[in-house]
Amino acid sequence: MASSWCWNCLSRLRPTPRALLPPSATPRISSAPFHSTAVHYAQPAKKKGNSLTVMKHRQSTSLRRKKKKVADRGGRPPAVGERKALRKRIVLSNPNALEVEGMLDLSPETMVDSRLRGTVLGLPVPMIDQLRAVQAFKPKQGWSIFRRPGTVLRRDTIEMGRLFEQISGEGDAAKKGKVVKKIVTGMKGSGKTVHLLQAMAMGFLKKWAVITIPDARELVSGETAYAAIEGSDPLQYVQPTATSALLTRTVDANRELLASLKVSQKHPALKMLKPSSTLEDLAKLGFSDPAVSWRVFQALWTELTATAPAAGLEKDFQPRPPMLVAVDGLAHWMTESAYRSAEFKPIHAHDLAFVHHFLSLLKEGDSLKNGGLLLYATSASNNPNPKALNIALDRLAARQAGISASSPEYPQPPAYSDADPRVLDLLQPAEKAVSPVELQTLGGLTRDEARGFMEYFARSGLLRELVNDQWVSEKWSLSGGGIIGELEKFGRRVRATASASK
Amino acid sequence: MVFILGVNFPERNLLKKSLQTFFGIGNNSSARLMSRFNIHPTCRVGELANKQVLDLTAVLSEMKIENDLRREVLNDIKRMKETGTYRGRRHALGLPVRGQRTRTQIKTPVKLNRMERRL
Repeated sequence: MASSWCWNCLSRLRPTPRALLPPSATPRISSAPFHSTAVHYAQPAKKKGNSLTVMKHRQSTSLRRKKKKVADRGGRPPAVGERKALRKRIVLSNPNALEVEGMLDLSPETMVDSRLRGTVLGLPVPMIDQLRAVQAFKPKQGWSIFRRPGTVLRRDTIEMGRLFEQISGEGDAAKKGKVVKKIVTGMKGSGKTVHLLQAMAMGFLKKWAVITIPDARELVSGETAYAAIEGSDPLQYVQPTATSALLTRTVDANRELLASLKVSQKHPALKMLKPSSTLEDLAKLGFSDPAVSWRVFQALWTELTATAPAAGLEKDFQPRPPMLVAVDGLAHWMTESAYRSAEFKPIHAHDLAFVHHFLSLLKEGDSLKNGGLLLYATSASNNPNPKALNIALDRLAARQAGISASSPEYPQPPAYSDADPRVLDLLQPAEKAVSPVELQTLGGLTRDEARGFMEYFARSGLLRELVNDQWVSEKWSLSGGGIIGELEKFGRRVRATASASK
Repeated sequence: MVFILGVNFPERNLLKKSLQTFFGIGNNSSARLMSRFNIHPTCRVGELANKQVLDLTAVLSEMKIENDLRREVLNDIKRMKETGTYRGRRHALGLPVRGQRTRTQIKTPVKLNRMERRL
């Protein structure tokens, strides 16, 4: 067996003469080292102490790690609101995309022209600011890939265009001044929000008053201030900041219209209002002072729904235009909100005065005195999925299909389920009455419409494929029967192998 | 900067978090306090109206928080030590009080439970 000692080390056991070595600070060790480094050149021995081997009474023996220092990335952190602004930024133009030759604009003539069905109509440039003001565009929609924003004219759009014409009193006079109430549902990506956008665009074209709630969630998620209305029973709550934002939106979008209409009713609650002021001035009262914004909103609403002037104010009265009310994300209003009452009980969304006002428009009767359209869209991706609303919508669909409420096929909430009765009652018509609300389910595009839509991608230079019937048919099937959101994904996907597939 | 119970809070801070900096106010009490005065959960300190600040301060000053609460807890511990109860002894010995194992993981009692207890 080989010795574990190194002969080389043993040979050095005899110390070298001191005079030959440089003087060193290391203490001389009398014992002989058994390794190759000479003692004199070795590092000074570290002091003992504080090592883990020295155990103190009841100290933890767990591993101690040094915390990593967070690397300083340099620069300042983003300013307040900067990241949110970036997140909510809406880009409506892409200068790299080709301009589509001969693209028509949405106009009172084109929006009802069934010959143009399936083509993409551009939104008129002067209207884009108005649409931005009512927050019709959403950040995740694909507006930023095209030269200019445009929407496809599908069957539902043309039908809605006709509805706008009828309510405005052109053509079929039977529906003039009527209120049409619709709940828009459909699969994810079926174009519900864009349908609302088209409605707003048509509303602006027809010079209607357009009032929108771009995100119903904001009102119930506990993000804006709320205050109880004294003396209301059951107790209701106002949201002054949200109301003030609504007034700002409404004035920005409908400035021309509101500036042309004069105050025609008496508003004793608003003492600062002069009889000669316009509705714009009225709405502006609520901008700066959230404390009065709810009263201002109520006053504005009575003005817009007025059919006749109050006594003494007949001089400047002009008939009020029809109104479009568009709400996106209706399901958020059908649950309890994130707000709490003073007794720490959750506040039901229907107890918020703002929400209550817009939901009560859905009830029977002419809620909009001068006629108009109520479009309340659900959302498939941002959906709290309240059971009661799902049942209520199923019932609505059943009633539309002719199933009576006494029939066994009529949808009922599952036994022992806690479906919210307030929500069920909301969309329930009175005995034997016709349901005031219509359910509109958006489906997919037809193949012709899908072809027009895909051609628009090709003509914008985004799609490098030969758009023929076979190709469109394939994509139509792959997109679940023409679901427009899925079709868009096929259109915007850049193909490296485009030329090979031809 | 807004004064709430003698403490200056920056305006951009969340009110809920600011209330929770007081000893004795946690998630639940701060949420209850805020809903009592109809303040929304994501309210910033700067958004409070003057009246709300005064209301909050008035309620906070009547609550047993901060030094009052500390004193009460310390007194309770002291009483247990003086009467020589098991819990009092464990507090004095620096050992866990509520029946936890002592073989490992008793950092917190070692740190906190001593004769001159601090909070």
